[in-house]
This record gives sequence, structure tokens and C-alpha cells, in this order.
Amino acid sequence: MTDLFEGLRLVLQTDVLIAIAASAVYGLVIGSLPGLSATMATALLVPVTFYLSPIAAVATIITASAMAIFSGDIPGCLLRIPGTPASAAYTDEAYAMTRKGQAELALGTGLWFSAIGGIAGTLSLLIMAPALAEVALNFSSFEYFWLAVLGLMCATLVARSSPVKAIASMLLGLLFSCIGMENPAGTPRFTFGMTDLLGGIEPLPALVGVFAVSQVMRALSEAEPPPLPRRRFGSIMAGQWALTKKYPKPMMRGNIVGIIIGVLPGAGADMAAWVSYALSKRFSKEPQKFGTGHPEGLVESGASNNASLASGWVPALLFGIPGDTITAIAIGVLYMKGLNPGPTLFTERASSMYALYIIFILANIIMIPLGIIMIRVAATVLRAPRASIMPIILLLCAVGAFATGNNLFAVLLVAFFGTLGYVMERNGYPVAALVLGIVMGSMVEQSFVTSLIKSDNSIMPFFDRPISAVLAAITLGALLWPVAAWLIRRMKARAPAVAGASGGHANG
Amino acid sequence: MQLSDRITGSCLVALGGVTVYGALQQPGVPGQDVGPSVFPMVIGLGLMGCGSLVALRIGHSFEAPDDVVPPEPGEVVARPPRFAEWRAFLPPLLLLFYMLAVESLGFLLTAAAISLAVSFTMGARARLALPLAVLAPLGIHAIFVRLLRVPLPDGLLTLPW
Repeated sequence: MTDLFEGLRLVLQTDVLIAIAASAVYGLVIGSLPGLSATMATALLVPVTFYLSPIAAVATIITASAMAIFSGDIPGCLLRIPGTPASAAYTDEAYAMTRKGQAELALGTGLWFSAIGGIAGTLSLLIMAPALAEVALNFSSFEYFWLAVLGLMCATLVARSSPVKAIASMLLGLLFSCIGMENPAGTPRFTFGMTDLLGGIEPLPALVGVFAVSQVMRALSEAEPPPLPRRRFGSIMAGQWALTKKYPKPMMRGNIVGIIIGVLPGAGADMAAWVSYALSKRFSKEPQKFGTGHPEGLVESGASNNASLASGWVPALLFGIPGDTITAIAIGVLYMKGLNPGPTLFTERASSMYALYIIFILANIIMIPLGIIMIRVAATVLRAPRASIMPIILLLCAVGAFATGNNLFAVLLVAFFGTLGYVMERNGYPVAALVLGIVMGSMVEQSFVTSLIKSDNSIMPFFDRPISAVLAAITLGALLWPVAAWLIRRMKARAPAVAGASGGHANG
Repeated sequence: MQLSDRITGSCLVALGGVTVYGALQQPGVPGQDVGPSVFPMVIGLGLMGCGSLVALRIGHSFEAPDDVVPPEPGEVVARPPRFAEWRAFLPPLLLLFYMLAVESLGFLLTAAAISLAVSFTMGARARLALPLAVLAPLGIHAIFVRLLRVPLPDGLLTLPW
């Protein structure tokens, strides 16, 4: 109980409250601008967090990401252009509602169920994390190795892309993490004689490059989105309670699916929204209404993407394994602020953990009034031409990267990773897998080499220990799953063909 | 920058080969079999394997279409700007310019030049681009230098405050 009060005291500091308010506005604005994702908003915030207290730093990340995921729904609903990838799954549905004259209902649904999903995700974090921490205390380097590899495999499995390309992206990320002296042997690797590379590739310039610079690059190669027509909105929250009572099951299913996908290392809010929208259509009593402006899918996937945001922090806090790209950034901030992820965080820094839960709940509550204001001023914000936003984003990339170590080499890294991210995305290589590879590379290598040294080069202990064996089985299953899916698809395709051929023969 | 799977796959195979070669050059650790070469070696072999599969277009059927919402029938689709593919590479070039010029020109002038370049390329009029090129660097300078104490170089132009 004292920890809870201490957590509350930590949150009620003036600097933390200011950080929450400022990052809420920032997240809402960035999320609502088409093409600027929640991950980008978070990556550009990191240089600012250097100068904040630990709790204020974490608060900015939590608040900005939650707000950005919600406000991504606004341009999706009004312009049919998703503000963040997490809104893409149900953009068509929300826009169809706008065309039916139900823009208020669609936006209100996004807002209300985002807030509910966010709170459900926080509750899952509150319940699951300390319970799992008990189990995690028994983990050794063998389990950590499999857990890290499983995290990487999940990122490749859910990547809506060719699994081969996703694994290649992940390996590329791991390769970048090999650069420098930060390896168990302490020898400089792949530094090409450059002193700047001795310290390795910092995740932040890579993240800023991949998520922010590549967005500016894309904006330069695409046509300007159409301006938003000015309109007056009626009550945003009217009808939300009725929807909550009408669709309790889809809402709960959205929350639960979001939580599960969030906990899976590497899978984030966008995946949660896609899966939940598909599930909603599959289990709906009126699937024929989907795509015509039916709120059911919006309820489920709107709750799901925000729920996954909070539960993504479970593996991040427990093992230092990111639940999604946003927590990949958050882990760096946690380390920097002395809140090193690990099961002991829940025993030794329990008050900080309570503070984190309180921030999550607070962020989801203030999302409702601030979201309503944002929806009302959206027409003005969305009128800002991209030619006025992109230069600022590019300058923030340069200055933010420089601020990580007062070193201009970081700016070069940002340019390199921006180009790499752009080219990879254009060719179907998922960049989230690349980023997770960079973030988790040293952990994978450390646990792999330490385990091999402990076992005297035998690989049997990787499979001997009970938890290790289970994790290994799941990982290998994840690796083989695409092959199995391909075989099943092939067999299904062949069966009707064979049936058709024999049918034709009989007729002939 | 759309490249064929054959090209990207071959690049991955080549990168994997270079990685394996680089790993073989790593010095061993005396008294231990597991040295700094093991992990890059595994990655290099993995990249070669994945590269070959990509080049053979295995797994291609799993690729989902872009997240971009397809146009509705009858909807006017804005045409991409001229030289779209090449314009995309302006931002990294401007970052290189920033790296090379910021020490001598100073943050304000370099940032103004970058801002102008991006706005004009995106088709902004002078009445938007010019005030932005003055205000955006000043605002960022105020936040990062005054508030966050990041030492951005002054160069040719030192602010009086």
C-alpha cells in the first residue's frame, strides 16, 4: 500500500503532470497527421526525455503513444487516410460511417473504446507482470536466449509480409548489433577502423532514421492528401454508452485479443487492429454489414489496438524484450533512467511500477476530453500543408540524433537508416523486424555465448531445462509455421483442382 | 525504389558472404572455443539462406498488399509528383549536408537552408517557406539550446540572447 501511495506521489509531481499534458497534445497532433506514426512520435520524444526525471520521461512516452494511436483514427475517419498504421485496419469502415453522416459516432467510438481498451490493457499489465515476475526470477541465460529468439520470431511471423523477408530483416538488424566492441569477447567487430563505430550502433538513430526520416522521404514521393472540408460536429460521445451495451462481447474480445497480441514480443497495435477487425467480422451476427459503415468492427479493433499498447510493456518491463516498436524505444529510456528492465524491478522499484500504472490510467482518462477537443480542431490541424510539417520533422531528426551523444556521426547514421528503411519498405521487407533485431541483438548474443560457455559448447542444456524446452519448442514451431501454412494452402488449392479435373474427365 | 526480388535477394546473399568472411577474420579467445566470430557467422549464413530464398521468390505469396486504402470507384486519385522516386532521396542528402555544414555555418543557417529545400521541393510558396525557414530553426534552437542545453553550434550567426 505504501508503494501505491509513493507511486501516486511520484506521478503528482509538477514536472510529471506538465510532461503528461504536453506529450498528450504532442501525441494527438502527430498521430492525427497522415503518415506520421505513433512510433515516430515516440522516437522523436526520446532526446527530450534525457533531460526529464525518470517518471516524467516514462510518462511522456506512455502518454504520447496512447494519444497518437487514438488520433490516428481521425484522418482515417474523415479523409480515408489512416493517421497511423494501427488505424489502417478499420479506416474504410470509419469512412463509410462518415459518408452516412455518422462521423461523430465513428470518431466517438474510436475515442471511447480506445480509452476502455487502454484501461483494460493497463489492468492486464497490473495483474500479469508481477505474477510473471515470480516465474521470471528462475530464468537463466538459456531461457533468456529462447525468449529473445522467440520475440524475434514473433516479430517476423506477424509481419504481414513474406516470412523469409521478415527473417532477413531481423538478421540484418542482428548484424547491425554486432558492430562495435559491445560483445562478450570485447573485440572490435565490423568497425572498419572507424572510432565512431567502436561503441556500436545506438538504437535511437536507427529508430529515428527508420521511422521518421523514411516518412519524410515517402511524403516527398507521394501526392499531397486532399484538404479536409470544414464541418461542424455534433456531440461526439452521444450514443457510445448504447454501443457499449449493444456490443459487450466484441469489446471484451477486442480487449483480450489486444492484450494477447501486445504481450507477444514484437507484435504491436497495428497487428492487434487487423486481427481484431477480422475476428469481429468472422464472429459477427451481421457480417454482411461490415464495410458499409457498421460500428461493430470499430468497437472491437479500436479497443484492441489501445489494449495492446499497455500489455506490450509486460515483456518490456520483465525481460527487456520489446512488445512492439514503441516499447523498443521505451526500453532504451528505462535503461537510461536507471529503471533497468527485469523481474527485480517489481520488487525493488515497486513504487515506480505503480507510478507507471497510474500514468497509463491517467493518460487513458484524459484522452477523452483532450480527444474531443482534438476532433473539434482536427479540421484546422489537418489543413496544415505537409510542406510546413516535413521540414520541421527532418530538423528534429537531425537535432534529436545529435542530442543523443553530442556527436554528428549520429546524424550520418540517421540518414543511412532512413534510406535503408525507405528502400526496405518499398521492397516488402518489414522494418519493425529490423529495429527489433538491432534492439535485441546484444541480448541474444550475450545469452547465446554465455550459455555455450556455461555448457562447455554443448547445445543439450538449451533443450534440457523444462521452461527452456517449452520455449524452444514454441520458437521452432514459430519458425516452421510459415512452411506448414504454405503446405496447407498448397494442398487446399490442389484438392479442388484434382476434384475439378476428375469431374471434367467423368463428364467427358 | 522498387527492386526485383532477384536483386534484393542477391544483395542479401552477398552481404551474408561478406559477413561470414568478416566473422572468419575475428581473433579467437584463448582457452575458449566460443569467440566473437560465432554470432556473426550464424547471421551471415542465415542471410545467405534467406537471400537465396528471396531470389527464388519463395514466401512471396505471404506478402500482403500495402496498408494504403485502395481508391473507391470514381474517386479521383492524386498523381504522384514528378521525379517522385528521386525526390525521396533528398532528406538523407540534406542530413549529410547538415553533418558537413553545421560546424562552419552554424545551426540556424544550416537549418534554414534545409527547411527551404524541403518546403520548396514539396511545392510550397515563398510566403510559407520563407517564414518557416526563419521560425522553425529559431523554435528548435530555443527548445534544444535554452531548455535542454544541447550545444548546437553557433557558426556564422550568433543569437544576441
